[in-house]
Amino acid sequence: MKKYQLGEFEEIVILTIAILYKEAYGVAIKNEIEGRLSRKVSMGAMHTALVRLETKGYIISVDGEATEERMGRPRKYYQITALGKRAMEHAKETRDELWGAIPKIALKLKITG
Amino acid sequence: MPYTGPPRAMLRLFRWYCHPRLADHIEGDLIEVHREWISKHGQGMANFRLAVELILLFRPGIIRPWQSPQFINTYSMYKSFIIVAWRNFQKSKGYSSINIFGLAIALTACMLIVLYVRHELSFDRFNEKADRIYRVNNEIKFGDNHIDVAAAGASFASTAKAEFPQIEAVTRIRWAGSLLVNVGDERVRQQNVGFADSTLFDVFTLSIVAGNAKTALNEPNTIVLTESIARKFFGTTDVLGKTLNIDDNKTRKVTAVIKDIPSNSHFRFECFIPLVDDDRANEDLWAGAQNYATYLLLRPDADPYALAVELNKMMDRHVGPELKMIINKTIEEFRGQGDFFLASLTALPDIHLHSNRLGELYGTGKIEYVYMFSAIAVFILIIAVINFMNLATARSAKRAREVGVRKVLGSVKSSLIQQFILESVLTCALAMIIALALTAIMLPQFNILTGKSFEVDVLYSPSMIASFAALVLVVGLLSGSYPAFYLSAFQPVAVLKGGSGSVRRSMMRNTLVVFQFVASVTLIAGTIVIYRQMDYIRKRDLGFDREQILIINNGRQVGNRIEPLKNSLLSVTGVRNVTVSGFLPVSYQRSNNTLFQSPTLDITGAMSVQEWRVDDQYLKTMGMHIAEGRDFSKEIASDSSAVILNESAARFLGGSGMIGKKLYTPNDATGKSVRELTVVGIVKDFNFSTLRQQVAPLTLVYGKDQSSIVLKLDAGDITALMSSVEAKWKSIVPELPFEYSFMDADYDRQYEGERQAGTLFTVFAALSIIISCMGLFGLATFMAEQRTKEIGIRKVLGASVYGITSLLSRDFLRLVVLAVAIATPLAWYLIAKWLEGFAYRIDVSWWVFPVAGFIALMIACATVSYQSIRAAIANPVNSLRTE
Repeated sequence: MKKYQLGEFEEIVILTIAILYKEAYGVAIKNEIEGRLSRKVSMGAMHTALVRLETKGYIISVDGEATEERMGRPRKYYQITALGKRAMEHAKETRDELWGAIPKIALKLKITG
Repeated sequence: MPYTGPPRAMLRLFRWYCHPRLADHIEGDLIEVHREWISKHGQGMANFRLAVELILLFRPGIIRPWQSPQFINTYSMYKSFIIVAWRNFQKSKGYSSINIFGLAIALTACMLIVLYVRHELSFDRFNEKADRIYRVNNEIKFGDNHIDVAAAGASFASTAKAEFPQIEAVTRIRWAGSLLVNVGDERVRQQNVGFADSTLFDVFTLSIVAGNAKTALNEPNTIVLTESIARKFFGTTDVLGKTLNIDDNKTRKVTAVIKDIPSNSHFRFECFIPLVDDDRANEDLWAGAQNYATYLLLRPDADPYALAVELNKMMDRHVGPELKMIINKTIEEFRGQGDFFLASLTALPDIHLHSNRLGELYGTGKIEYVYMFSAIAVFILIIAVINFMNLATARSAKRAREVGVRKVLGSVKSSLIQQFILESVLTCALAMIIALALTAIMLPQFNILTGKSFEVDVLYSPSMIASFAALVLVVGLLSGSYPAFYLSAFQPVAVLKGGSGSVRRSMMRNTLVVFQFVASVTLIAGTIVIYRQMDYIRKRDLGFDREQILIINNGRQVGNRIEPLKNSLLSVTGVRNVTVSGFLPVSYQRSNNTLFQSPTLDITGAMSVQEWRVDDQYLKTMGMHIAEGRDFSKEIASDSSAVILNESAARFLGGSGMIGKKLYTPNDATGKSVRELTVVGIVKDFNFSTLRQQVAPLTLVYGKDQSSIVLKLDAGDITALMSSVEAKWKSIVPELPFEYSFMDADYDRQYEGERQAGTLFTVFAALSIIISCMGLFGLATFMAEQRTKEIGIRKVLGASVYGITSLLSRDFLRLVVLAVAIATPLAWYLIAKWLEGFAYRIDVSWWVFPVAGFIALMIACATVSYQSIRAAIANPVNSLRTE
């Protein structure tokens, strides 16, 4: 059951990493989420999610180059692991399954109600 | 304007709380967004937003865990310290054992002294109200008489209680002498009996095992026993309501049983009988007699100083009329002559160490001894600490390479200092464990020396353990600090280059050795002088003969059989003389009187004197000499009003022409009837108190006091003589126990305190020398080792064994000589101070100091020469072969 754990925000972050592909590092992820979803992302929330994803083994990080723009601090690029990919798929399948199980009437009621 | 980054304080804050693994790139992210914000919103807004981000970043997962990963590093550092310490210890067992055993001996001495000092300082503090209890002293001066007694008149207590509301309770205590108790068929003499008021338990904390504290001492003919006495008489402590048969004709009912009075109480009575049995306890006497140790328990808010002033006013009101009656002077006139009558208060905890007045219930301690022994403890400890420092710095060459390597590998000075201090604390802790064992072993001996009774478990009380731990830390820090700074200051380049490793002559080291020997020489000189003074006291001509004098107690119970007893004792061959009197130069039976030179009892020329009732055989038996006039005689009837003065009394009264002089004394407190005494003789001065005091005026009157029977024996077979004396005693008074003592033993007992102090002093002096020599031995060994090659070359070039020995010893012996020079004036001063306490004392002879120095020098010589000679006779082939 609890094979793949992925919180809501974690799912957003890992999806964004997938979108950014090779360019996924802290600020880029933050900007991408903020741009696409029009919601504020705090550095704290995002990095906590990244740390969790990493400890779960869904992503790995690679130290990047130190740039002048960051006053010598290195970037850390994230990549999705095979396990991470399976977790993403699992999440999507679960959603789809649930969507499929909803009787049509319920949605209609929802719409009219 | 170029971008300068976010405020440094913000980044520092972030780095402080952030997990080190995440810090770098999150910081990078922060800088990147901050730069962007500045270009969009300006500096202020950017900083504000950054601050918000910092707050939001402060969450689990990002902040640093509580146990920092650096902890593991320091842990292994300390582990390495301990391993290295252990390896060093194993590598040089000799030096390490000198260090550890030196410290262990010093700590043992220290612990014993701590026990002693703590016990002395703890006197009477077990009383719950100790800080509110005060004892009343009376200080009286009239004419040339000046006495300060630890007691007050009989009615002082009740009057003070009635007059001053700030006094919560009062109680009085007085010696009741001894009781002869019938236990089965036997009679047992019970010493340590005290009279006490029924309020005794209101003031003092004496825990009651059975009985009622409020009523225990209310009724006449009752008695309160301590547990051990109850067991002694009845075999059980369940004795409430039982009766004791006393002195053949009286009974006393046991009304309470109390716990044994602790050894740190200033009175250690074993039973109490009520003061209502003492006829004189209700006398309204103020000036006449001060016989009652009077204790006041003040209310918590009372001011003892203010009360003392009030108490003096009260004294004036009552002493005044009494003076008027006896000497016909008002208190103002009395004062006008420079005479006075004062009351003062001594706080209960101060009685033992700070009060040494006449009439203290039990002998008191001396604060001087507390200071002296504390000083010795510190001295000994310092000597051991110096050993540690000296050996550590002398052997520093051996550790220099380690220090060099540690420094090259990045060790900072502070952690090296930590290392050496940790090492010394460990050594000290090891020494403390050995010292604890040593102390436990020594404790019985120490009890004999000090006359105290410490149990081994006092060592394990929490407060003692805490103080021992503190001692370990202090000594460890002290002895480790100098070597730590010395060793950690080595330059790695210098020590790793491969220098010869020879040790510089150290000024500091020499100073320390000198200090050690100054202490040792002072202690040796002190020991010599104490022994000579004790010897002087033992051998001094006291004006009476104390050898072969037998004192038999229980004379009072003999009653009117005393004459037949006397005669039958005289008939024993070997008994030269028999006298009957309780007033002896060694015991405490004393009686004070005041003699006036005119029948009107004019106070000028009045003399406060001892008045001893003796018989016509007294002077002969005691071997005292008549200087002028004659002894009492049975044949002369008028001798019942005759008096013999001692030389001091004669001097007091004006010197010559004393024979035939009349002296007057009031018969009772009213001063109405006067007794006339005629001087018939003058006896040579003899010491009747300790040699700490000058011989005071004394009078002998012809009277009856039969508390003791004193026999002068011929030298010879004492055992046989004693058994025939005992046989005579048994034939006349078979029911009384035959209790006796010898006067010379009683005399020696008076100097028990000095003797104990002397013995302790010697023991500690010896210890300090042993420890000093251990250090010197270590140093000498090391120096000889260092100079092995030099000695080898010298020998090859033709140096003699003598030459090399003296070369090696010279340095040390020079230090010892310097120490003697410094110690002489110091010791002289201290010794002179101590001797001031004796009215009769030896002069400090000049030779004491050279002798003490010589002893120290000889011991040092023996210590050093063992190593020097060993080095000097070694075959140079061995020392030069290896290169």
